[in-house]
Amino acid sequence: MNPNTMVVAHPDHPLYMELIKHFKVRTIDEALNTYETCELVIDLSPLRTQKKFLFIKELAKTTKAPIISDLTLSWGEWILKYAPHVGATLSTLFYNPTNAFEYSLRDSGDAEMKKNIEDFAAVMNLKAIEHKNLGLSFHYPRTIAMIINEAYFALGEKLATPESIDLAMKNGVNYPLGPIEWGEKIGLHNVAQLLEELNTITRDERYRLSPELKLQAFKHF
Amino acid sequence: MKINNVVIIGAGTMGQGIAQWFAQQNIVVEMVDQNFEFAQKSLERIRESLVKLESLGKLTSAQVTEMKKNLSVKKLEHVNTKADLVVEAIIENLDVKKNLFKDLDLLMSKETILATNTSSFPVTQIASSLSADRKKNFLGLHFFNPATIMKLVEVINGMETDKNVSAFLIKWFNDKKKIACECSDSPGFIVNRVARNFYGEALRAVECYTEDKCREVDTVMKEVGGFKMGPFELMDLIGIDINFSVTESVYNSFFHEARFKPHRLQRDMVAANRLGKKTGKGFYHYES
Repeated sequence: MNPNTMVVAHPDHPLYMELIKHFKVRTIDEALNTYETCELVIDLSPLRTQKKFLFIKELAKTTKAPIISDLTLSWGEWILKYAPHVGATLSTLFYNPTNAFEYSLRDSGDAEMKKNIEDFAAVMNLKAIEHKNLGLSFHYPRTIAMIINEAYFALGEKLATPESIDLAMKNGVNYPLGPIEWGEKIGLHNVAQLLEELNTITRDERYRLSPELKLQAFKHF
Repeated sequence: MKINNVVIIGAGTMGQGIAQWFAQQNIVVEMVDQNFEFAQKSLERIRESLVKLESLGKLTSAQVTEMKKNLSVKKLEHVNTKADLVVEAIIENLDVKKNLFKDLDLLMSKETILATNTSSFPVTQIASSLSADRKKNFLGLHFFNPATIMKLVEVINGMETDKNVSAFLIKWFNDKKKIACECSDSPGFIVNRVARNFYGEALRAVECYTEDKCREVDTVMKEVGGFKMGPFELMDLIGIDINFSVTESVYNSFFHEARFKPHRLQRDMVAANRLGKKTGKGFYHYES
Protein backbone atom coordinates (compact mmCIF):
# COMPACT_ATOMS: atom_id res chain seq x y z
CA MET A 1 0.00 0.00 0.00
CA ASN A 2 1.28 3.42 -0.85
CA PRO A 3 2.42 4.75 2.55
CA ASN A 4 1.44 8.24 1.56
CA THR A 5 -2.28 7.57 1.32
CA MET A 6 -4.88 9.86 2.81
CA VAL A 7 -8.27 8.42 3.68
CA VAL A 8 -11.31 10.66 4.01
CA ALA A 9 -13.87 9.10 6.31
CA HIS A 10 -16.42 10.03 8.91
CA PRO A 11 -16.27 8.33 12.34
CA ASP A 12 -19.66 6.72 11.53
CA HIS A 13 -18.12 4.75 8.68
CA PRO A 14 -18.31 1.00 9.45
CA LEU A 15 -14.57 0.57 8.77
CA TYR A 16 -13.47 3.66 10.71
CA MET A 17 -11.85 1.89 13.67
CA GLU A 18 -9.83 -0.29 11.34
CA LEU A 19 -8.99 2.60 9.02
CA ILE A 20 -7.36 4.68 11.75
CA LYS A 21 -4.99 1.80 12.51
CA HIS A 22 -3.49 1.92 9.04
CA PHE A 23 -4.05 5.33 7.49
CA LYS A 24 -4.08 8.99 8.18
CA VAL A 25 -7.81 9.53 8.25
CA ARG A 26 -9.26 12.97 7.69
CA THR A 27 -12.76 14.35 7.82
CA ILE A 28 -14.15 16.15 4.78
CA ASP A 29 -13.31 19.57 6.25
CA GLU A 30 -9.81 18.49 7.22
CA ALA A 31 -9.17 17.04 3.80
CA LEU A 32 -10.20 20.28 2.12
CA ASN A 33 -8.28 22.56 4.43
CA THR A 34 -4.97 20.89 5.24
CA TYR A 35 -3.37 20.64 1.80
CA GLU A 36 -1.43 17.60 2.98
CA THR A 37 0.93 16.02 0.55
CA CYS A 38 -0.24 12.59 -0.42
CA GLU A 39 0.11 10.28 -3.37
CA LEU A 40 -3.29 8.64 -3.18
CA VAL A 41 -6.64 9.69 -1.75
CA ILE A 42 -9.23 7.15 -0.73
CA ASP A 43 -12.42 9.07 -0.21
CA LEU A 44 -14.98 7.17 1.87
CA SER A 45 -17.25 10.12 2.55
CA PRO A 46 -20.95 9.15 2.62
CA LEU A 47 -22.21 11.73 0.14
CA ARG A 48 -24.92 11.69 -2.47
CA THR A 49 -24.14 12.51 -6.11
CA GLN A 50 -24.28 16.27 -6.14
CA LYS A 51 -22.41 16.80 -2.87
CA LYS A 52 -19.95 14.09 -3.78
CA PHE A 53 -19.20 15.75 -7.09
CA LEU A 54 -18.64 19.14 -5.46
CA PHE A 55 -16.47 17.60 -2.76
CA ILE A 56 -14.29 15.79 -5.30
CA LYS A 57 -14.00 18.96 -7.34
CA GLU A 58 -12.79 20.90 -4.28
CA LEU A 59 -10.55 18.06 -3.16
CA ALA A 60 -8.89 18.00 -6.57
CA LYS A 61 -7.85 21.63 -6.01
CA THR A 62 -5.87 20.60 -2.93
CA THR A 63 -4.02 17.60 -4.34
CA LYS A 64 -2.79 16.16 -7.59
CA ALA A 65 -3.05 12.64 -6.18
CA PRO A 66 -5.41 10.22 -7.89
CA ILE A 67 -8.68 9.67 -6.06
CA ILE A 68 -10.52 6.48 -5.28
CA SER A 69 -14.00 7.42 -4.19
CA ASP A 70 -16.74 5.53 -2.36
CA LEU A 71 -19.90 5.94 -4.42
CA THR A 72 -22.28 3.83 -2.36
CA LEU A 73 -24.76 6.72 -2.20
CA SER A 74 -23.92 8.29 -5.54
CA TRP A 75 -24.70 7.77 -9.19
CA GLY A 76 -21.51 5.97 -10.15
CA GLU A 77 -21.66 6.39 -13.90
CA TRP A 78 -22.29 10.11 -13.60
CA ILE A 79 -19.37 10.73 -11.24
CA LEU A 80 -17.02 8.75 -13.45
CA LYS A 81 -18.14 10.75 -16.46
CA TYR A 82 -17.86 14.21 -14.92
CA ALA A 83 -15.17 13.87 -12.24
CA PRO A 84 -11.99 13.00 -14.14
CA HIS A 85 -9.89 12.95 -10.96
CA VAL A 86 -11.60 9.78 -9.85
CA GLY A 87 -9.62 6.82 -11.12
CA ALA A 88 -11.59 4.14 -9.33
CA THR A 89 -14.67 3.82 -7.19
CA LEU A 90 -15.69 1.46 -4.46
CA SER A 91 -18.56 0.73 -2.11
CA THR A 92 -17.73 0.21 1.54
CA LEU A 93 -20.42 2.17 3.34
CA PHE A 94 -22.93 -0.66 3.71
CA TYR A 95 -22.16 -3.34 6.28
CA ASN A 96 -22.00 -6.75 4.64
CA PRO A 97 -21.69 -10.20 6.18
CA THR A 98 -18.64 -11.31 4.19
CA ASN A 99 -15.98 -8.62 4.64
CA ALA A 100 -15.91 -7.88 0.94
CA PHE A 101 -16.61 -4.84 -1.21
CA GLU A 102 -17.32 -3.97 -4.82
CA TYR A 103 -15.06 -1.70 -6.81
CA SER A 104 -15.01 -0.36 -10.33
CA LEU A 105 -12.15 1.09 -12.36
CA ARG A 106 -12.55 4.05 -14.67
CA ASP A 107 -10.26 2.26 -17.10
CA SER A 108 -10.45 -1.51 -16.75
CA GLY A 109 -6.84 -1.78 -17.96
CA ASP A 110 -5.51 0.56 -15.25
CA ALA A 111 -3.18 -1.89 -13.50
CA GLU A 112 -1.87 0.70 -11.06
CA MET A 113 -5.31 1.65 -9.83
CA LYS A 114 -6.32 -1.99 -9.60
CA LYS A 115 -3.24 -2.61 -7.45
CA ASN A 116 -4.16 0.34 -5.21
CA ILE A 117 -7.57 -1.21 -4.63
CA GLU A 118 -6.13 -4.65 -3.99
CA ASP A 119 -3.55 -3.21 -1.59
CA PHE A 120 -6.26 -1.34 0.29
CA ALA A 121 -8.31 -4.54 0.52
CA ALA A 122 -5.29 -6.48 1.79
CA VAL A 123 -4.45 -3.92 4.48
CA MET A 124 -8.07 -3.85 5.62
CA ASN A 125 -8.38 -7.64 5.43
CA LEU A 126 -11.24 -7.37 2.94
CA LYS A 127 -11.96 -9.03 -0.36
CA ALA A 128 -12.32 -6.79 -3.42
CA ILE A 129 -14.83 -7.85 -6.09
CA GLU A 130 -14.67 -6.03 -9.40
CA HIS A 131 -17.83 -4.52 -10.85
CA LYS A 132 -17.28 -3.64 -14.49
CA ASN A 133 -19.31 -1.02 -16.31
CA LEU A 134 -20.63 0.75 -13.23
CA GLY A 135 -24.06 2.15 -14.00
CA LEU A 136 -26.59 3.64 -11.63
CA SER A 137 -25.21 2.12 -8.47
CA PHE A 138 -23.21 -0.75 -7.05
CA HIS A 139 -25.12 -4.06 -7.08
CA TYR A 140 -25.06 -5.00 -3.42
CA PRO A 141 -26.25 -1.73 -1.84
CA ARG A 142 -29.11 -1.12 -4.28
CA THR A 143 -30.40 -4.67 -3.98
CA ILE A 144 -30.17 -5.00 -0.23
CA ALA A 145 -31.67 -1.53 0.21
CA MET A 146 -34.72 -2.59 -1.82
CA ILE A 147 -35.13 -5.79 0.21
CA ILE A 148 -34.92 -3.85 3.47
CA ASN A 149 -37.34 -1.22 2.19
CA GLU A 150 -39.90 -3.92 1.33
CA ALA A 151 -39.53 -5.47 4.77
CA TYR A 152 -40.36 -2.07 6.26
CA PHE A 153 -43.35 -1.63 3.94
CA ALA A 154 -44.52 -5.02 5.26
CA LEU A 155 -43.92 -3.92 8.86
CA GLY A 156 -45.84 -0.72 8.29
CA GLU A 157 -48.77 -2.76 7.02
CA LYS A 158 -48.58 -5.06 10.07
CA LEU A 159 -47.98 -8.05 7.84
CA ALA A 160 -45.90 -9.74 10.53
CA THR A 161 -43.63 -8.94 13.44
CA PRO A 162 -39.99 -7.90 12.77
CA GLU A 163 -38.88 -11.21 14.29
CA SER A 164 -41.18 -13.19 12.00
CA ILE A 165 -39.98 -11.32 8.92
CA ASP A 166 -36.34 -12.01 9.78
CA LEU A 167 -37.01 -15.65 10.64
CA ALA A 168 -39.02 -16.18 7.46
CA MET A 169 -36.32 -14.79 5.17
CA LYS A 170 -33.55 -16.72 6.88
CA ASN A 171 -35.42 -20.01 6.91
CA GLY A 172 -37.54 -19.72 3.78
CA VAL A 173 -34.86 -18.53 1.35
CA ASN A 174 -31.65 -18.94 3.36
CA TYR A 175 -30.79 -15.26 3.66
CA PRO A 176 -27.67 -14.82 5.80
CA LEU A 177 -29.48 -12.16 7.84
CA GLY A 178 -33.07 -11.08 8.17
CA PRO A 179 -33.83 -7.78 6.42
CA ILE A 180 -34.73 -5.98 9.64
CA GLU A 181 -31.51 -6.90 11.42
CA TRP A 182 -29.60 -6.26 8.17
CA GLY A 183 -31.01 -2.75 7.96
CA GLU A 184 -30.01 -2.05 11.55
CA LYS A 185 -26.46 -3.15 10.84
CA ILE A 186 -26.19 -1.00 7.72
CA GLY A 187 -27.92 1.93 9.37
CA LEU A 188 -31.40 2.79 8.18
CA HIS A 189 -30.32 6.36 7.44
CA ASN A 190 -27.87 4.95 4.87
CA VAL A 191 -30.56 2.75 3.32
CA ALA A 192 -32.93 5.71 3.20
CA GLN A 193 -30.33 7.99 1.61
CA LEU A 194 -29.50 5.49 -1.13
CA LEU A 195 -33.17 4.92 -1.99
CA GLU A 196 -33.87 8.64 -2.03
CA GLU A 197 -30.90 9.13 -4.34
CA LEU A 198 -32.05 6.36 -6.68
CA ASN A 199 -35.53 7.88 -6.63
CA THR A 200 -34.12 11.34 -7.39
CA ILE A 201 -31.98 10.09 -10.25
CA THR A 202 -34.50 7.80 -11.93
CA ARG A 203 -37.82 9.34 -10.87
CA ASP A 204 -38.92 5.72 -10.64
CA GLU A 205 -41.58 5.10 -8.00
CA ARG A 206 -40.08 1.70 -7.23
CA TYR A 207 -37.49 3.47 -5.09
CA ARG A 208 -40.13 5.24 -2.98
CA LEU A 209 -39.17 5.02 0.66
CA SER A 210 -41.38 3.08 3.05
CA PRO A 211 -42.90 5.55 5.54
CA GLU A 212 -42.03 3.11 8.32
CA LEU A 213 -38.39 3.00 7.24
CA LYS A 214 -38.30 6.78 7.04
CA LEU A 215 -39.75 7.03 10.54
CA GLN A 216 -37.16 4.65 11.94
CA ALA A 217 -34.23 6.03 9.90
CA PHE A 218 -34.56 9.55 11.10
CA LYS A 219 -35.77 9.01 14.66
CA HIS A 220 -32.42 10.11 16.07
CA PHE A 221 -32.19 13.32 14.08
CA MET B 1 -57.34 -29.57 18.76
CA LYS B 2 -54.91 -32.27 17.65
CA ILE B 3 -53.09 -33.39 14.52
CA ASN B 4 -53.02 -37.17 14.09
CA ASN B 5 -54.51 -37.61 10.63
CA VAL B 6 -53.76 -35.45 7.63
CA VAL B 7 -54.99 -35.42 4.05
CA ILE B 8 -52.69 -33.91 1.42
CA ILE B 9 -54.35 -32.97 -1.83
CA GLY B 10 -52.06 -32.65 -4.83
CA ALA B 11 -49.17 -35.07 -5.28
CA GLY B 12 -46.78 -32.80 -7.17
CA THR B 13 -43.43 -31.67 -5.80
CA MET B 14 -44.89 -29.67 -2.94
CA GLY B 15 -47.64 -32.15 -2.03
CA GLN B 16 -45.18 -35.01 -2.03
CA GLY B 17 -42.72 -33.13 0.18
CA ILE B 18 -45.43 -32.02 2.62
CA ALA B 19 -46.82 -35.58 2.80
CA GLN B 20 -43.39 -36.99 3.53
CA TRP B 21 -42.71 -34.40 6.23
CA PHE B 22 -45.99 -35.22 8.01
CA ALA B 23 -45.29 -38.94 7.68
CA GLN B 24 -41.91 -38.37 9.30
CA GLN B 25 -43.74 -36.88 12.28
CA ASN B 26 -45.62 -40.19 12.66
CA ILE B 27 -48.84 -38.69 11.38
CA VAL B 28 -51.25 -40.80 9.34
CA VAL B 29 -51.17 -39.29 5.85
CA GLU B 30 -53.59 -39.84 2.99
CA MET B 31 -52.48 -38.48 -0.39
CA VAL B 32 -55.01 -37.46 -3.02
CA ASP B 33 -54.51 -36.39 -6.61
CA GLN B 34 -56.96 -36.15 -9.48
CA ASN B 35 -54.55 -38.50 -11.25
CA PHE B 36 -54.55 -41.57 -8.98
CA GLU B 37 -51.56 -43.21 -10.66
CA PHE B 38 -49.54 -40.04 -10.32
CA ALA B 39 -50.27 -40.02 -6.59
CA GLN B 40 -49.16 -43.64 -6.36
CA LYS B 41 -45.88 -42.74 -8.06
CA SER B 42 -45.39 -39.90 -5.57
CA LEU B 43 -46.02 -42.32 -2.74
CA GLU B 44 -43.42 -44.64 -4.21
CA ARG B 45 -40.90 -41.79 -4.36
CA ILE B 46 -41.58 -40.98 -0.70
CA ARG B 47 -40.99 -44.61 0.22
CA GLU B 48 -37.71 -44.61 -1.71
CA SER B 49 -36.69 -41.41 0.02
CA LEU B 50 -37.43 -42.92 3.45
CA VAL B 51 -35.33 -45.97 2.59
CA LYS B 52 -32.51 -43.68 1.51
CA LEU B 53 -32.74 -41.83 4.83
CA GLU B 54 -32.52 -45.20 6.57
CA SER B 55 -29.41 -46.13 4.57
CA LEU B 56 -27.85 -42.81 5.61
CA GLY B 57 -28.56 -43.66 9.23
CA LYS B 58 -31.02 -40.80 9.67
CA LEU B 59 -33.98 -43.08 10.32
CA THR B 60 -34.16 -46.56 11.84
CA SER B 61 -35.69 -49.51 10.06
CA ALA B 62 -38.55 -49.56 12.59
CA GLN B 63 -39.25 -45.85 11.97
CA VAL B 64 -39.33 -46.34 8.21
CA THR B 65 -41.67 -49.32 8.54
CA GLU B 66 -44.02 -47.25 10.69
CA MET B 67 -43.90 -44.25 8.36
CA LYS B 68 -44.60 -46.38 5.32
CA LYS B 69 -47.56 -47.91 7.12
CA ASN B 70 -48.93 -44.45 7.83
CA LEU B 71 -48.84 -43.38 4.18
CA SER B 72 -51.53 -44.20 1.66
CA VAL B 73 -53.10 -42.94 -1.55
CA LYS B 74 -56.85 -42.38 -1.64
CA LYS B 75 -59.49 -41.01 -3.93
CA LEU B 76 -61.06 -37.86 -2.54
CA GLU B 77 -64.40 -39.56 -1.87
CA HIS B 78 -62.66 -42.25 0.20
CA VAL B 79 -60.51 -40.13 2.53
CA ASN B 80 -60.99 -40.15 6.27
CA THR B 81 -63.58 -37.42 6.62
CA LYS B 82 -62.64 -36.99 10.27
CA ALA B 83 -59.02 -36.11 9.45
CA ASP B 84 -57.66 -33.31 11.64
CA LEU B 85 -56.11 -31.33 8.82
CA VAL B 86 -56.34 -31.10 5.03
CA VAL B 87 -53.51 -29.37 3.17
CA GLU B 88 -54.20 -28.45 -0.44
CA ALA B 89 -51.17 -28.25 -2.74
CA ILE B 90 -52.73 -28.34 -6.20
CA ILE B 91 -52.25 -26.14 -9.27
CA GLU B 92 -52.18 -22.34 -8.68
CA ASN B 93 -55.60 -21.67 -10.18
CA LEU B 94 -58.02 -19.71 -8.05
CA ASP B 95 -61.23 -21.20 -9.44
CA VAL B 96 -59.95 -24.76 -9.19
CA LYS B 97 -58.90 -24.18 -5.59
CA LYS B 98 -62.21 -22.56 -4.66
CA ASN B 99 -64.17 -25.46 -6.15
CA LEU B 100 -62.03 -27.99 -4.32
CA PHE B 101 -62.56 -26.27 -0.98
CA LYS B 102 -66.30 -26.03 -1.64
CA ASP B 103 -66.32 -29.83 -2.00
CA LEU B 104 -64.10 -30.30 1.05
CA ASP B 105 -66.40 -28.09 3.09
CA LEU B 106 -69.23 -30.54 2.45
CA LEU B 107 -67.12 -33.67 2.72
CA MET B 108 -65.02 -33.12 5.81
CA SER B 109 -66.04 -33.08 9.46
CA LYS B 110 -66.77 -29.59 10.78
CA GLU B 111 -63.77 -29.86 13.14
CA THR B 112 -61.30 -30.50 10.29
CA ILE B 113 -58.91 -27.63 9.66
CA LEU B 114 -58.62 -26.81 5.95
CA ALA B 115 -55.41 -25.22 4.71
CA THR B 116 -54.06 -24.04 1.39
CA ASN B 117 -50.40 -24.11 0.42
CA THR B 118 -50.97 -21.35 -2.14
CA SER B 119 -47.99 -19.11 -2.74
CA SER B 120 -49.84 -16.39 -4.56
CA PHE B 121 -53.58 -16.15 -3.94
CA PRO B 122 -55.08 -14.32 -0.97
CA VAL B 123 -56.27 -16.89 1.55
CA THR B 124 -59.44 -14.90 2.15
CA GLN B 125 -60.26 -15.07 -1.56
CA ILE B 126 -59.89 -18.86 -1.62
CA ALA B 127 -62.06 -19.06 1.51
CA SER B 128 -64.90 -17.20 -0.19
CA SER B 129 -66.44 -20.49 -1.37
CA LEU B 130 -66.67 -21.83 2.20
CA SER B 131 -69.52 -21.74 4.68
CA ALA B 132 -69.28 -19.13 7.43
CA ASP B 133 -68.36 -21.66 10.12
CA ARG B 134 -65.71 -23.32 8.00
CA LYS B 135 -63.98 -20.01 7.30
CA LYS B 136 -62.94 -19.98 10.97
CA ASN B 137 -61.14 -23.29 10.40
CA PHE B 138 -59.45 -22.21 7.19
CA LEU B 139 -56.00 -20.70 6.78
CA GLY B 140 -52.86 -20.69 4.68
CA LEU B 141 -49.95 -23.02 5.43
CA HIS B 142 -47.19 -22.10 3.04
CA PHE B 143 -44.40 -24.67 2.99
CA PHE B 144 -41.10 -24.19 1.18
CA ASN B 145 -39.45 -26.58 -1.22
CA PRO B 146 -38.10 -29.12 -0.28
CA ALA B 147 -40.66 -29.30 2.52
CA THR B 148 -38.77 -32.08 4.33
CA ILE B 149 -35.70 -29.85 4.67
CA MET B 150 -36.84 -26.23 4.66
CA LYS B 151 -37.94 -25.34 8.16
CA LEU B 152 -40.21 -22.42 7.40
CA VAL B 153 -43.98 -22.58 7.30
CA GLU B 154 -45.84 -19.33 6.83
CA VAL B 155 -49.09 -19.50 8.77
CA ILE B 156 -51.48 -17.10 7.12
CA ASN B 157 -54.61 -15.84 8.79
CA GLY B 158 -57.49 -15.10 6.47
CA MET B 159 -59.92 -12.37 7.50
CA GLU B 160 -62.23 -14.91 9.15
CA THR B 161 -59.64 -17.34 10.50
CA ASP B 162 -60.07 -18.16 14.19
CA LYS B 163 -56.79 -17.02 15.81
CA ASN B 164 -56.97 -20.01 18.15
CA VAL B 165 -56.61 -22.28 15.13
CA SER B 166 -53.51 -20.49 13.83
CA ALA B 167 -52.03 -20.25 17.34
CA PHE B 168 -52.54 -23.98 17.81
CA LEU B 169 -50.85 -24.79 14.50
CA ILE B 170 -47.93 -22.43 15.14
CA LYS B 171 -47.25 -24.18 18.43
CA TRP B 172 -47.74 -27.59 16.85
CA PHE B 173 -45.27 -26.88 14.03
CA ASN B 174 -42.74 -25.32 16.37
CA ASP B 175 -42.95 -28.41 18.59
CA LYS B 176 -42.13 -30.46 15.48
CA LYS B 177 -39.04 -28.31 14.80
CA LYS B 178 -40.53 -26.34 11.95
CA ILE B 179 -40.29 -22.56 12.16
CA ALA B 180 -43.82 -21.26 11.90
CA CYS B 181 -44.14 -17.54 11.15
CA GLU B 182 -47.54 -15.97 11.48
CA CYS B 183 -48.52 -13.36 8.94
CA SER B 184 -51.60 -11.61 7.69
CA ASP B 185 -53.21 -12.25 4.33
CA SER B 186 -51.27 -10.01 1.97
CA PRO B 187 -49.98 -10.81 -1.54
CA GLY B 188 -46.83 -12.94 -1.48
CA PHE B 189 -47.13 -13.22 2.32
CA ILE B 190 -43.65 -12.60 3.80
CA VAL B 191 -41.08 -14.42 1.69
CA ASN B 192 -42.47 -14.12 -1.82
CA ARG B 193 -43.04 -10.45 -1.22
CA VAL B 194 -39.82 -9.37 0.51
CA ALA B 195 -37.69 -11.47 -1.85
CA ARG B 196 -39.16 -9.96 -5.01
CA ASN B 197 -36.53 -7.28 -5.29
CA PHE B 198 -33.66 -9.71 -4.93
CA TYR B 199 -34.65 -10.55 -8.51
CA GLY B 200 -36.25 -7.27 -9.58
CA GLU B 201 -33.30 -5.09 -8.71
CA ALA B 202 -30.83 -7.54 -10.24
CA LEU B 203 -32.81 -7.46 -13.49
CA ARG B 204 -32.66 -3.67 -13.50
CA ALA B 205 -28.93 -3.69 -12.75
CA VAL B 206 -28.38 -5.84 -15.83
CA GLU B 207 -31.08 -4.12 -17.94
CA CYS B 208 -29.87 -5.55 -21.27
CA TYR B 209 -29.04 -9.22 -21.08
CA THR B 210 -25.56 -10.62 -21.36
CA GLU B 211 -24.43 -13.70 -19.50
CA ASP B 212 -21.36 -11.83 -18.21
CA LYS B 213 -23.50 -9.14 -16.59
CA CYS B 214 -25.66 -11.77 -14.89
CA ARG B 215 -22.56 -13.55 -13.65
CA GLU B 216 -21.17 -10.29 -12.25
CA VAL B 217 -24.36 -9.59 -10.29
CA ASP B 218 -24.47 -13.17 -9.00
CA THR B 219 -20.82 -13.00 -7.94
CA VAL B 220 -21.33 -9.74 -6.07
CA MET B 221 -24.47 -10.93 -4.30
CA LYS B 222 -22.72 -14.10 -3.14
CA GLU B 223 -19.29 -12.68 -2.37
CA VAL B 224 -20.40 -9.38 -0.88
CA GLY B 225 -24.00 -10.04 0.15
CA GLY B 226 -23.34 -13.51 1.55
CA PHE B 227 -26.27 -15.08 -0.34
CA LYS B 228 -25.90 -18.77 -1.13
CA MET B 229 -26.99 -18.24 -4.72
CA GLY B 230 -27.11 -15.18 -6.92
CA PRO B 231 -30.45 -13.92 -8.26
CA PHE B 232 -29.90 -15.18 -11.82
CA GLU B 233 -28.71 -18.61 -10.72
CA LEU B 234 -31.71 -18.82 -8.44
CA MET B 235 -34.18 -17.77 -11.13
CA ASP B 236 -32.70 -20.44 -13.41
CA LEU B 237 -33.10 -23.01 -10.65
CA ILE B 238 -36.66 -22.04 -9.72
CA GLY B 239 -37.71 -21.68 -13.35
CA ILE B 240 -37.84 -18.24 -14.96
CA ASP B 241 -41.48 -18.86 -15.92
CA ILE B 242 -42.45 -19.64 -12.32
CA ASN B 243 -40.53 -16.67 -10.96
CA PHE B 244 -42.11 -14.41 -13.60
CA SER B 245 -45.55 -15.75 -12.77
CA VAL B 246 -45.11 -15.07 -9.03
CA THR B 247 -43.84 -11.56 -9.83
CA GLU B 248 -46.85 -10.88 -12.06
CA SER B 249 -49.20 -12.23 -9.43
CA VAL B 250 -47.76 -10.04 -6.64
CA TYR B 251 -47.65 -7.03 -9.00
CA ASN B 252 -51.30 -7.48 -9.99
CA SER B 253 -52.41 -8.15 -6.42
CA PHE B 254 -50.84 -4.86 -5.34
CA PHE B 255 -52.69 -3.05 -8.15
CA HIS B 256 -49.51 -2.41 -10.17
CA GLU B 257 -47.31 -1.11 -7.40
CA ALA B 258 -44.02 -0.05 -9.07
CA ARG B 259 -41.86 -1.95 -6.58
CA PHE B 260 -43.13 -5.26 -7.93
CA LYS B 261 -43.18 -4.45 -11.62
CA PRO B 262 -41.92 -7.41 -13.67
CA HIS B 263 -39.00 -6.82 -16.04
CA ARG B 264 -39.19 -7.33 -19.80
CA LEU B 265 -36.18 -9.65 -19.62
CA GLN B 266 -38.30 -12.13 -17.68
CA ARG B 267 -41.01 -11.99 -20.32
CA ASP B 268 -38.50 -12.31 -23.15
CA MET B 269 -36.79 -15.29 -21.54
CA VAL B 270 -40.13 -17.05 -21.14
CA ALA B 271 -41.10 -16.24 -24.75
CA ALA B 272 -37.81 -17.76 -25.91
CA ASN B 273 -38.47 -20.87 -23.78
CA ARG B 274 -35.28 -20.10 -21.86
CA LEU B 275 -36.78 -21.16 -18.57
CA GLY B 276 -33.61 -22.04 -16.71
CA LYS B 277 -32.08 -25.35 -15.79
CA LYS B 278 -35.15 -27.35 -16.76
CA THR B 279 -34.83 -26.33 -20.42
CA GLY B 280 -31.01 -26.28 -20.44
CA LYS B 281 -30.96 -22.53 -21.06
CA GLY B 282 -31.96 -19.53 -19.03
CA PHE B 283 -29.74 -16.68 -17.97
CA TYR B 284 -26.98 -19.28 -18.22
CA HIS B 285 -26.39 -22.28 -20.45
CA TYR B 286 -26.48 -25.79 -18.98
CA GLU B 287 -25.09 -28.96 -20.44
CA SER B 288 -27.75 -31.58 -20.99
